Amino acid sequence: MSDQSDLILIADDEPDLCWALEHLLHNQGLATRRALSAREALDLMEQHHFSRAFLDAKLPDMDGLELARRILEIAPDIRIIMVSGYFYRDDVSIQDAISQGLIHSFISKPFLQEEILKVLNA
Amino acid sequence: MEKIDTGPDNGPEFQRYRTLYEMLLEAIPSSVLLIDQDLRIVSVNRNFLEKNRRTLPDTIGRRLDEVFPAIIIDQMGFAGRIRQVFEKNFHIKGERMTYRAPGIPLRIYYYSILPFSWKGVVELAMLLMEDVTEQVRLSEEVRRVERHLASVVESAQDIVLSTDMEGRILTWNTAAERLSGFTLYEVREQNFFDLCAGDDLGEMENVFANLRAGRNAQMAEWDLKTKDGGRVPVSWIFSPMKDHLSQTAGVVAVGRDLTERRKFEAQLLQSQKLAALGVMAGGIAHEIRNPLAVCSSAAQFIMEPDISQEFRQECAHKIHAGVQRASMIIENLLRFARPSVKTDPKEINLTRLLEETLSLVTNQARIQKIELHSQLAPEPICINGMEGLLQQTFLNLLLNAIKAMPDGGVLGIDLGKTESEAWVSISDTGHGIAPGDLNNIFDPFYTTAPAGQGSGLGLSICYSIVKQHFGTITVDSEERQGSKFTVRLPIREAEAA
Repeated sequence: MSDQSDLILIADDEPDLCWALEHLLHNQGLATRRALSAREALDLMEQHHFSRAFLDAKLPDMDGLELARRILEIAPDIRIIMVSGYFYRDDVSIQDAISQGLIHSFISKPFLQEEILKVLNA
Repeated sequence: MEKIDTGPDNGPEFQRYRTLYEMLLEAIPSSVLLIDQDLRIVSVNRNFLEKNRRTLPDTIGRRLDEVFPAIIIDQMGFAGRIRQVFEKNFHIKGERMTYRAPGIPLRIYYYSILPFSWKGVVELAMLLMEDVTEQVRLSEEVRRVERHLASVVESAQDIVLSTDMEGRILTWNTAAERLSGFTLYEVREQNFFDLCAGDDLGEMENVFANLRAGRNAQMAEWDLKTKDGGRVPVSWIFSPMKDHLSQTAGVVAVGRDLTERRKFEAQLLQSQKLAALGVMAGGIAHEIRNPLAVCSSAAQFIMEPDISQEFRQECAHKIHAGVQRASMIIENLLRFARPSVKTDPKEINLTRLLEETLSLVTNQARIQKIELHSQLAPEPICINGMEGLLQQTFLNLLLNAIKAMPDGGVLGIDLGKTESEAWVSISDTGHGIAPGDLNNIFDPFYTTAPAGQGSGLGLSICYSIVKQHFGTITVDSEERQGSKFTVRLPIREAEAA
């Protein structure tokens, strides 16, 4: 079992995507919590202490970057990784979000397992 | 004359008849000449003198060839004819003469030569000349106008034809021959309806019934059959043809070949579709990359060595489902992007069509945090129409609604019906339309979008598609509150009945 510092939040409205990330992270011995909306993610943030969060860029009730901002208000130490099929890595809004420290890194869908593992170990 | 017993030549009775004779002669509005056997002029009236600018002294007692131009005497064979009158007591009636003489404007006469007998002997010949210059000029003018009208009809690029009140063809111009391949000879007396390829005979009969009832011009779009078995799309305008008593005596049909316009419309529809695809591109990418990401992850899991058979199965299922989802999205897009072949209208289930169309934009709406409120009637609502075109209309309206709500909102889609029509309303809670723009939104190229972000064609295309379906499209909008577009389409007759 992992300790509290290795608990990871996964926020994506696509359950199969949560499934894929969960499986990958569980193989690394990490524990996860799943949120299918921004509302659920913020609720989980109130209940748990997460070391990292994988966020989709477009959630039905909130923009991923806005969710990142709210999450950082609750837990300023968290590392946020955006996983999206909507943006490109060199999109201005992504570059801005990284330089502002809003997100730690960006991974585009579809992704390789190594990319996820790399940001975990970074 | 024979009954007049003259008595002494200078008696008062004689003087009275002589005056009467002269008055009569002067009053006749034609030229009257009396000519003797030597072709000398014995008597002449004022009408002749005035027309020929002659005086009595230089006319009376002169020979015909001294008074008439030689060319006329020769051409008319005057001398011979007058001789015939004397010899055979013979009338020469109603000959035409063109009178050209130096210094006198050209005149045209009808002339007759009559024998003037005294006790069975032809004493004199009477030449009666009636000036018909004006009549001839008028009839030539009439013919010229007729020729001009005929050449207007014949030169027209549009079909111009006329029929009787029952629709039997009376005239058929060159353009009609060129487009159909049929000559007037082949179609004369044929029923106009038989030459139209439309299957809606009821509609055609209706148009003629309206014209018979005295209604004004009627418009229709019916294909014209061609001799080689093809058909040409034609836009018709039928007008009642009135006779001189203002009674409708027939029908004039003017038809314009729509082939080129149809081609242009198809191109316009296609370019507008591509523009719509551009708007959807972001949503499409997102929607396809999600299942791709799932497939990719599952495939990577399978590649790992020692995984359970059960998990391998699970991964394979995820891959399969993901590929299906992605190809479904692509198939929908392809079907939409393909040029719609204009087919005959067929029965369309509006409920299903709207659901399919909605699925094309759901993702775009989700990205913009737009809530969908759709109330589609559970039972199918069917109309007759062209599915691809109607889908394009609804997609346009949906994308417009989404575009109007960059910061989220509610997109409403309602479908319902009355006895005679189905209605679809698409509403948004977006920025609305300024009152000043409301009157123009259906005009082609009218746009309030910045350059490069809208062609201004979308709504004009919606409008023309709905018109083609004999429907209406209306809008209610309030600035900063949102807009609601309502499309009404007639329900197919079988169902309405």
